Order: sequence, then C-alpha cells, then structure tokens
Amino acid sequence: MPSSSFRAGAREGFLGFLPLSVGLIPWALVMGMAMTSAGFTPVQAMGMNLIVFAGTAQLGTLPLIGSGVPLWLIVVTALALNLRFVIFSAAIARGFRGVGAPLRWFSGHLLTDGVFANCLEKMLKVDDPRWRLGYFLAPSLWSWFLWQAFALIGIFAAGSIPKHWSLEFMATIALLVLLIPLAKQRPMLVAAVTGGATAVALRGMPLRLGLIVAIVAGICAGFAAEHWSKRGDEA
Amino acid sequence: MSADASLWLSFVLIGLATTLPRASFIVLGGRVRLPSVVQRALRYAPAAALAAIVTPDVLVVSGDFAPLNPKLAGVIAAVAAALLWRNPWLPFIAGMAVLLGLRALTGG
Repeated sequence: MPSSSFRAGAREGFLGFLPLSVGLIPWALVMGMAMTSAGFTPVQAMGMNLIVFAGTAQLGTLPLIGSGVPLWLIVVTALALNLRFVIFSAAIARGFRGVGAPLRWFSGHLLTDGVFANCLEKMLKVDDPRWRLGYFLAPSLWSWFLWQAFALIGIFAAGSIPKHWSLEFMATIALLVLLIPLAKQRPMLVAAVTGGATAVALRGMPLRLGLIVAIVAGICAGFAAEHWSKRGDEA
Repeated sequence: MSADASLWLSFVLIGLATTLPRASFIVLGGRVRLPSVVQRALRYAPAAALAAIVTPDVLVVSGDFAPLNPKLAGVIAAVAAALLWRNPWLPFIAGMAVLLGLRALTGG
C-alpha cells in the first residue's frame, strides 16, 4: 500500500501534467502510423514502442532501420538524439535522493521531456522522498500508458486518418505551452531564443547534431545573461 | 542473422541508447556530483531544449527557413491563448483552428 504522501504527490503530479499530456496523443498516433508504413508488423511496431519509449529517438532512427545503414550508426544516431537526457538526468538527479536503485532505474527509463520540464522545480524543492517519487511516477506512467495505447491505435488506424489534419502540430503546441512559464524570466528567455535560433541555423547538420549544439548554446547564453544581469545590479 | 532478429537487436540497442542517458545521473545520484556552476547552468537546459526542438518545426518548411507559414500563425494563436486564459485546452483548440483554417483558406 503506497504511503499517503506518495499518493498526495502522485495526485498533484498527475493533475498538473494531465492537460499537457494531450500533446502526446497525436505524437503517439503519428508514431504508430510511421512504424506501420515503415513495414513493421504490429508486433514489431509495439516491440519497438515498448522497448525504446522515446518519440524523438524512434522517429529519428526509423528511416535508418532496414535501409542498409550499419547498426552502429543507428545506435550513434539514437545516442545523439538522446544526449539531452544526460543533461536532464543530471538536473533532476537530486530529486531522487532517498529513493532506492531499482526505482531510480525505473524512473530513469520513464524520463521524458514533458515530465522533466513540468516536474523539475518541485522535485528539487520538496523534502519528502515518497512525495517526490509519487509526483514523478504518476505523470510518467500516465505518459507511458498514453504512448503505448495511442501508438497501438495508430498502428491499426494507419491509412485511415487523413495526413492533412496535421495532428502532430498538437505536439508542437504542447512543447510551447511548457516553454511559456519558463521564458517569463529574462535569462531563460535568452536561453530559449538562442537555442531556437541555433537549431534553425544548424538544421542541416547530420544526425540532428544541430539540436545538441543548440541546447548547449542556449544554456551558455542563459548563463551569460544571468551573469551580466547580476553585475548590472551590483554596479 | 535473420531480418527479424536483427530488427529486434536494433530495438534493444536503441532502447539502451535511450535508457542509459536518461538514467545516468538519476542512478549515480550522490556518488557523482556536477560542480555547482554546471548545476546552475543546467537550469537553462529545459528552456533551451524545448525551444531547440520546437523552433525548427515552426519556422522551417521542407528544409528552408520560411517563417511566414500557417504554423507560425497557429503558434501565435496558441501562445496568446495560453497567456490570456487559464483554460489548459484552449491553446490546442486555438492553435489547431488557426492552422487548419488558414490552410483551408489558402488551399495549402
């Protein structure tokens, strides 16, 4: 029986993330349809979805699988797409103090962009480890469920949903809604604008490495903006 | 190795290439600490990453920088809805309505 503080954390984490989680639905539908149109059987498609559980890595490696690209290059591509998670993992790690190793592995496996952005602040602020674990796991398991359920629907619906509905645009909107509260602080806004502009400028880089460069550039710009605004206050 | 077996092997390796970066510091926990300067800098990771993922989606059309497209209008509508009203579903409704409406009007 989970403790009451675990359940309180789970409730707050789930309710806070619920409206944002709608952005996962079109993304998972698109993922299911893309895997089917790549020639996967439903079992293979759901196998990939269950094992990998990562939209960017799945969509990014899909065109390479079965196209004669060597396996090592596929894995390197997946690593490049996932490098941001090392940064996320380090940033949120303190939120798992007091949590055992198996649950840390489990939580790590479930770490996604949306839950990270939504939960980071309270994961670092709250003292009770059981509350924190509930607060992280509830939206993470909900994301996992949505991802599997709607990918499955997408696999079987492939071909019957018109492409011009552009359902994947809802994923873009969801990421933006996550960005808005962050960008209200000046250095965060600088980080976002720099990251976005760099990603557009470097969109031609192979293996989507431009994404990594853009994230690093954005972090540096935000850090520099914080530094200069402090010096301005002291002067 | 059969085509099916090599496919499953690639799934497992891509899965490892996803779970290991995600779990890295969460599992290492207190044993490995990043310097405080790095930790402060990392606070900017989500804003930088979200913008880096989203911006090309909105401003690039088939590889070319083309900011004046229906997606930008949809994004402006969604952001305005998020800033003006508390209703969490409204940005999705406003954004999709503007995108699909503009596409229908322009025939694009």
